[in-house]
Parts: sequence; C-alpha cells; structure tokens
Amino acid sequence: MKYIFINIWRVMQRELKMMFARPLYLFASVGVMLLSTFFFLTLMQGGSAEKMPVAVVDLDQTSISRRLIHEMQATPSVDIQLITNSYPEAREAMQQGKIYGIFVIPECFYDELVSFKRPKMDFYVTNAYTVGGNTAYKQMLTMVNLTSGAFQREVLRKKGLPDDVIMHRIQPLAIEGHMVANPWGNYSVYLVSTILPGILGLICLMLTIFAIGFELKMRTSHAWLKAAGGNYTVAMIGKLIPYTLIYIILGIGCHIILYRFAGFPVYGSHTRLMFGLLLFIFAMEALGITLIGLLPTLRDALSIGALYSMLGFSLSGFTYPQMAMLPPVKALSYLEPLRHYYLIYVNEALMAAPVENSIPHMLALTGFMLASLFVAPRLYDALVYQNYPLK
Amino acid sequence: MKVESLKILSAFVNELRRIFRDPGVMVIFIVATLAYPLIYKALYWNEQITNVPVAVVDLSNSPQSREFLHQWNATPDIRLTHTCVSMKEAEQLLRDQKVHGIIYFPRDFAKQLADPLGQARISLYCDMSSFLYMKAIYLSCNQVMLESMRNIQIDRYEQMGMDKEFAWALVQDAPYTETALFTPTGGYGSFLIPAVLVLILHQTLFFGICMLGGTAREEGLDQYSIRSLIGRSIAYFLIYYALAAILLGFFPRLFGIPHIGAIGDILLLMIPYILAVVFFSLCVSVFIRNRESGLVILISTSLIFLFMAGISWPKEMIPDEWRYLSFFIPYTWGAHGFIHINSMGATLWQTRMEYFALWGLTVGYFAIACILFYIKNIRKNDGTTDRIPSPTGNGTLQTGL
Repeated sequence: MKYIFINIWRVMQRELKMMFARPLYLFASVGVMLLSTFFFLTLMQGGSAEKMPVAVVDLDQTSISRRLIHEMQATPSVDIQLITNSYPEAREAMQQGKIYGIFVIPECFYDELVSFKRPKMDFYVTNAYTVGGNTAYKQMLTMVNLTSGAFQREVLRKKGLPDDVIMHRIQPLAIEGHMVANPWGNYSVYLVSTILPGILGLICLMLTIFAIGFELKMRTSHAWLKAAGGNYTVAMIGKLIPYTLIYIILGIGCHIILYRFAGFPVYGSHTRLMFGLLLFIFAMEALGITLIGLLPTLRDALSIGALYSMLGFSLSGFTYPQMAMLPPVKALSYLEPLRHYYLIYVNEALMAAPVENSIPHMLALTGFMLASLFVAPRLYDALVYQNYPLK
Repeated sequence: MKVESLKILSAFVNELRRIFRDPGVMVIFIVATLAYPLIYKALYWNEQITNVPVAVVDLSNSPQSREFLHQWNATPDIRLTHTCVSMKEAEQLLRDQKVHGIIYFPRDFAKQLADPLGQARISLYCDMSSFLYMKAIYLSCNQVMLESMRNIQIDRYEQMGMDKEFAWALVQDAPYTETALFTPTGGYGSFLIPAVLVLILHQTLFFGICMLGGTAREEGLDQYSIRSLIGRSIAYFLIYYALAAILLGFFPRLFGIPHIGAIGDILLLMIPYILAVVFFSLCVSVFIRNRESGLVILISTSLIFLFMAGISWPKEMIPDEWRYLSFFIPYTWGAHGFIHINSMGATLWQTRMEYFALWGLTVGYFAIACILFYIKNIRKNDGTTDRIPSPTGNGTLQTGL
C-alpha cells in the first residue's frame, strides 16, 4: 500500500517536470482559459442587442412623412442610419452589411392619410444575420406602431378625449413578458455560461489525450510505467493528478468569475452547479482516456477529440434547441458531456429545480468516467508494446 | 531565373508529397473539411423551431381567452400541451422542462376587455435556456395579440358611436407588409452554415499548415528560404482553392442552403481569402515547434474568431478594441464577404471593401512571412536553431520495463 503512494508521487514528480519543461501545457490550460474568459465577458458587455442600424426609404417626400421620420429618429429604440428616396440604394446598403432593415414610406402616404384611406407601409429585414435581423424586426414593429398610434391619437384628441382614456383605447390588450430567470433578456448570460465551461472541457479532453499520447509518440511510456512500478492505475492517477488540480482551480475560478463578479444569476444551488462542473471536467478527462485508448496514436486521437468536442457546442442545444434536431442527432447529443452539463446548468442556475432533475445528468457524466475503464487493457498494451505509428 | 523557378517548383512538389503522405494532415485537409459541413447540415436540418410546448393557466375561463388560445395554438410556432389549474402546477412543468413557456390569463381578463376603459393583461413566461424558445413563443403570441386587439378596438370605437367603416380605417390606418429578405425560411441553419463553411476552410488550413510546420521542425527538415515559402504556398493554395469551390460553390446548391450570389464572384473572392489564410498561417507556423502545438491555437481561436467577426453577435455590438483586432483575421472579411455575395446576392463590386481588405491582408502577411522566414534562415545557417531532437533519436527517457 505504501509503495503505491510512493509510486504515485514518483509519477507525479516526473509529470510536473515534463509539464514545466514545455510551456504548451500551461499555455493551453491557464492561458487559453484566461483569454477566453476575458474575451467573452468583454465581448458581450452590453448583453443584449437593443437596436440595429436601419434605413428609411421616403418615397412620399412630404412634410408629414418627414415629420414621421423625425419622430422615429427621436425614439431611443430606433437607430436610423440612412434616409433615402431610392429603394435600390437602401438594398445595396443592406447587401454591404451596413443596415439590417429597410422601412418604406409609400409614395401616396400623405394623400391617403388626409383622405382617411389606409396607406400601406412596407418593411424588409435581413435574415442573413439572425440576431441583427431579429432586432431590426422588433424595431420595425415599433416604427409601425409609432405611425399607427400617432395617427389614432390625433383623431381621438380631435374628438376631445383625455390622454389616459385614449391610451387604453389604443392598447386594450397587453402582454406582460416574463423571461424566466433572465429578466433582462441578456444574451451573454445563456451564451457565456455554457461556452466557457465548454472551452474548459475541450482543454481537459485535448490535454489528457496529449499527456498520454505524447508518451506513446516519444516512446517514453516504458519510463512512465517504470516510475509507477508497472501499475497502470498508479501510472494514470499519478499522471492526471497535476492536470486535474489545474482544471479544478480553473473550474472554480470560472464559476466565481461568472456568478460572483459578472453577476450572472444562480437561482438554485451553487454547490450542485459547481459539483456538476467538476463532474463535467472529470467526464471530459475520462473521454480523453477513452479516445487515446481506442486510437493509441496521438495524431488520430487528437483529431477525433477536436472534432468530437467542437460538435459539443452545437449538440448541447444551448443555441439551437435540441427539440428541433433530427431524432438521430438528438440521440447523439447525449454522447456529449457538455449536453449534460448544460442541462444541470439549466436546472440549477435558471430553474432552481429539485435535485432529482439533475441526478440523471450527473449519473450520465459518471458514466463517461466508468466508460474509460473499459479501454484500460488496450491502452496498457499500447504503453507496453508501443506498437502504433509515431506520427 | 529559370533555376529559381525550378527550385520553387521543386519546393511545391515536395510540399504536395508531404501533404499526401501524411495521413494526419490528409484527415484535416480533406476528411474534416468535407465531413464537417455535412455534420452541421444534419445538425441544423430543421430550420425553424416549431411546436414549442406551452402550458396554459386560464383563471378567467372566458370565451375571449379560449378564442385567444385557439388562435395561438393554430400558429406553427407553439403547441398548447398542458392546461393547469394554478401557476404552481405550470411552474413545475417549466422546471421539469416539459414546457418552455406559460401563458397566464388573470381572473378579470374578460371583465377588463368588456370595460371600454379597461386594459386586459396576459402574462407570458418564457424559458430562457435558449433564445430561440423565447423568439418562437413571444413573437407568435404578439402576432395573435395584435390581431385580436384590432377587433376589440373596433368594438370599442363602435360603442363610442363611430361607424364601423371609420373605426376600421382608424385601427388599420397604417397597415404594413413585412418581408424577410434573402433567406425565405429565416432558419438558423441558413444563417449559421454559410459562416461555418468559411470558418472550416480557415481553421483546417490554419491547423494543417501549423501541423506540417511542426512536423518539419521535429524532423529537422524545415526550410526557411523564400523559394520554399512560395512553393509551399502554391501547394496549399491549389488544394484549398479546390476545396473552397466545393464547399462554397457546390455545397450550398446541393443541400438547399441559400445561394443567390453569382458563383463567379464567390470564386473571385476566394482567391485573396485563401491566400490571406495561407500567409497568415505560415506566419504563425514559424513559432510552432511541435506537430501538435497548433492544436492549442486551433481550439482556442475557433470560437473567438467566429464571435469576433460579428456574425452571430452583431458587429455593431462588439467593443471597438475587439473589432479592430478582428480586422487582422482573414476570417472576418472572408465570412462577411461570402455572406454578402452568397446569402444576400451582392456583387463583387458591392463587396469591394471585404475583397480589397483580403488583398491587403494577403500582401501584409506575405511580407511578414518573408521577413520571418528570412530571419529564421539566417539563424538556421548560424546553427543556433532551437529545434528539438527527433523523437526516435531520443533514447534518454527510454528504459526497458
């Protein structure tokens, strides 16, 4: 028993030496994580896209259309970048990515308005940029309502009604929107909360593959096993402890930055959310062992690992919901640890759900760890016989 | 001069040989480049989010609320799956993710509607775990509300003694048509896949060049002459120009991704794009010592490049510092240029800003690569190179078991 601990210590010492001899390890873990955290938190400081540049095409060119444009410009949620009397000009601006929507005031606007006819407004939004286009769409609706509301108000005022009465006549029905657990509609909350742990998981996976695969590539696996007294388990534990400590620190740091300093909401249990993150880290490390065990060539395992974990960002369903995916893709999404972490995050941070809701996903993450045990014989053989290509 | 071009030719052939003999590079260059778009297309197969399950809490239990729900349920976006007697029950369903939204009618809903001065309120609760849930629920509900609001307004104006014709004109005074331009389905895939295609070209080429550079250095075969720079660039360019033609020219046409641009314009845009990526990658590869080190750069930059370019997060919302930095990444210009031409039908002339920016980056990174290669070449001839010994020659760590 005593020898086991001594051997683990010996492997750890050897590993630490290798770690500090190559800047790659620390750069890839700490450096990348710091860079990503800094990038994503500063990128989305605003949090939500409120207004996007749009164009107004004024085909009417009368005093009333100009007054309408004036009123729109004075509205804080509208950002008019271009006022023109040519639709092709506005369309070209859109094709050049300068604006996201075009609002057209028709030629006969003034004439129809004064004769109580119904002038028709047209608006166009781009779908080639989703967030920009959606925001422009909301803005366009505001602009239509401005037109419509202003007109009704004028007519009713002429009939001598007080303003508050008018208000309720114009708006007899209202929707109160409640965005559960994210009342500000903050884009960065749901995006960054999954992207950063996802990047950490990616690092765990790739560096685990690298740390083991490098021994195979450099043909140093015998020295590694020798330090471990020939024991595979000791060799693995000793090798992974230093990395795991780094990942745990990064994970906790990430949690503190997101939920303490950046002020992202956690309505449920911090402990369980953090526990979920740690399980996710271990699952990604285990997945790394599984991959290098199945493909004991550094190059192959790294390529497959990169492919697999990059897909996790899409498959986890935090941007494009899982319910919209095709059935086989849906099934595949459960093979991504990030999917399970994301669901734990939804349960704990957003929904404040009872622990039973998160337990299946915690068990699934544990399953990834257990799965790595099955490749042990194959990986051990690879370490002993070194019978795989180098590159 | 003839000798010089022969040397470039030999560097070119040599690099082609290395690429095709290296299975790892082939996996990245060919397999990943062609497989990734298919995977992403499969992933985002359904363009629209439809039938988002919603729970109903209707305390007013009135014909008006039922009419509203009936109309709402008829929209493709949502499906009313559960009827609950209390908010508590509905919240439970939301927590268990059985529904992604709740609609709540207060007890006085019908009474407020009947009151000519009243304002009836509907509460809508949206699951924020994905933005697209909220979009589906909120926008469709809003549409139904605007529709029923018109009817109520007309009723109220009629009660005030206006004739129906006038009341109708009053509430409809500014009708509008809305048109989504360029991608009629407005789906997530139509928007994201073009941007991802351009990113796949950028990142696989970037990683592949770093990998080849690292391997050459490990094996002590690294060549830093300007001849080799040109010869290698031609090899990468030819392979990736063909891949770009497949990915950006044919793939959208094959798989129903928006493609209203002229294919000739896309191919012209790709010349400076691929060249800029090649020289950008060659500059970075000078600092890569190992075959696998490029991977770190790959995993750390892919998402950052995507977001920094201002595609999924609008460029107007990006802080200036990141925005300026993104100008130096070929992807930023390549992605916007491709989306403008391919998805929005712009001509190359209308996309000239992106096009010339890419040529600018090509010239800039080529100059930097020349300087870096020149410095490396001198150092190498001095014998002060810092490359690590080849793995097979390193017996010190090898011990028998």
